[in-house]
Amino acid sequence: MRIEHLSLHNFRNYARLEASLPSGPILLYGANAQGKTSLLEAIYYLATSRSPYTTSDRQLINWNVERDMFAFTKIGAEVVSANQVMNRVEVTLTAGTDGLNGAHLQKNIRINGVARRVMDLIGQITVVMFLPQDLALVEGPPAERRRYMNITLCQTDVVYCQALNTFEKVLSQRNALLKRIAENEASPDQLDYWDDQLITSGAILMAGRQRLLRELEVKARRVHHDVSGGDEDLELQYRPGFAATASSSSGQLSFNVLGLDLNRQLNADTIAEQFRDRLTGIQGEEITRGMTLIGPQRDELRLMVNGHDLGLYGSRGQARTSVMSLKLAELEWMHDTIGEWPILLLDEVVAELDAKRRAFLLERINNANQVVLTTTEPDIFTPDFLAHTARWHIHQGQIISTSD
Amino acid sequence: MSKAVPQPVTQLIDAFSRLPGVGPKTASRLTYYLLRAPDEVSQSLADALADLKTHTRFCSVCHNITENDPCGICSDSNRDTSQIVVVEEPLDVLAVERTGAFNGLYHVLHGAISPVEGVGPEDLKIRELVQRVENGNTLEVIIATNPGMEGDATAMYLQRQLAAAGVKITRLARGLPTGGDLEYVDSVTLMRALQGRHEM
Ligand SMILES: [Zn+2]
Repeated sequence: MRIEHLSLHNFRNYARLEASLPSGPILLYGANAQGKTSLLEAIYYLATSRSPYTTSDRQLINWNVERDMFAFTKIGAEVVSANQVMNRVEVTLTAGTDGLNGAHLQKNIRINGVARRVMDLIGQITVVMFLPQDLALVEGPPAERRRYMNITLCQTDVVYCQALNTFEKVLSQRNALLKRIAENEASPDQLDYWDDQLITSGAILMAGRQRLLRELEVKARRVHHDVSGGDEDLELQYRPGFAATASSSSGQLSFNVLGLDLNRQLNADTIAEQFRDRLTGIQGEEITRGMTLIGPQRDELRLMVNGHDLGLYGSRGQARTSVMSLKLAELEWMHDTIGEWPILLLDEVVAELDAKRRAFLLERINNANQVVLTTTEPDIFTPDFLAHTARWHIHQGQIISTSD
Repeated sequence: MSKAVPQPVTQLIDAFSRLPGVGPKTASRLTYYLLRAPDEVSQSLADALADLKTHTRFCSVCHNITENDPCGICSDSNRDTSQIVVVEEPLDVLAVERTGAFNGLYHVLHGAISPVEGVGPEDLKIRELVQRVENGNTLEVIIATNPGMEGDATAMYLQRQLAAAGVKITRLARGLPTGGDLEYVDSVTLMRALQGRHEM
């Protein structure tokens, strides 16, 4: 998969950009805050309908127009898939009549000129993004790792994405209801509907995450083995958020079976059954505490090297290498899942690696049809790499020179 | 707003900007338009606003907004009293009426169950519906709440409350739009249509 043409209107510091993208690696270089990262962000946004850097879409709108009555941002791309089919994908963000002060920002999606829903973006453009902040996958809070699993799965699995959407809404409704019940403002029988929804959607999430991590681990382990010269054994440990509070449980069910046992992959229906049992057992406690106590919102993923938890015992360098292994595994996983190479986006990560790992990474990414990298220091790349790489100098929201 | 603007003007701008979908800019534009327009324009607007509340009430049978109680639909002897379509909002009644395909009665709930917004079953006209069904000659209740999560939660709750009444309970089908090619239908709609398929 590759993007043939990218067009930006009022996106970040780009007032207007029309760019044709070659296949292979594209190196965006230039000083900071010139718009290198924004280009990656735009591509990522088209793939996932969210930014990797901000949760507020209005930050994407060019500040020159943000006071306009009908401020808008448009990101568009022509994408060519492996079987040479070309699709036009376009996302428009429009502010209300009061410019960005208005509460509402409207998101419109068009695929080949036809208005579509956000969900329909899935699969149009698939990306793997690797940025320095990904270190949070090791060092950050569990929410970071759940977000990682969600984004990876959402790009490839519409059912998962629907379930995630449902789950997030149900969870807040159910928590609100539990609180009302705790305060005697509602009766427990009103929980039934939300329980059903929580169980059905939650089980899909857990089954998806379990499958993802199992498949990813096989690949990540191999990559990590290669990069560490056989010294390190990388493990992705899924810790499902079921038995988080076990105090009032019946004590009958073992949730260890949800772990990454290759022979005991659980499907969503089986997980749902267990989820329901556990939820029934814990209802009293949930009402007392006024919140949902078990479920995928408490899932955890731990990266282990040679049996040690990286988040607790690893060095910075080890963490960085492991995240790189995970990202390269993700690239391969995406390829196997969607049947073609996703677009790879690398934001400033190359500079963070030592020469050996840098060489390893740059060699491995050659598989992808299109790789967009950013750097402030083009000199750290070898002449060999630069020889087959398109180099674009980005300055003040413009591509000021290209050398293909 | 500066002192250069007289208070009646800021007051109206304030009032307008509290309306849904109207921001401060639109509110000022509307206000200054009314200032410049002939007196009749603002007078008829003022009258309409005053009548809105004083000359409307809720129908004591279906809880739709009406001028007379019971409303035109509830008091129409040509309507089939054995069927009741249950909707969330008064505007939904209009939508069903526009189809011309339904000749029964309505029941307006005035919302849907949403714990997050603090709306529980007791805040809706659900008890009134159950009473109506138990005491009337209803044969079928057609639940036409919105297809979202809150609408679904409400539908499920209604179904339970009405189970003892011994009437047929149905829910609007969620289907494909007519006149479109299958390949252009968005995946959510298609998935729902697939889930709601029926035997031929
Ligand atoms: Zn009526």
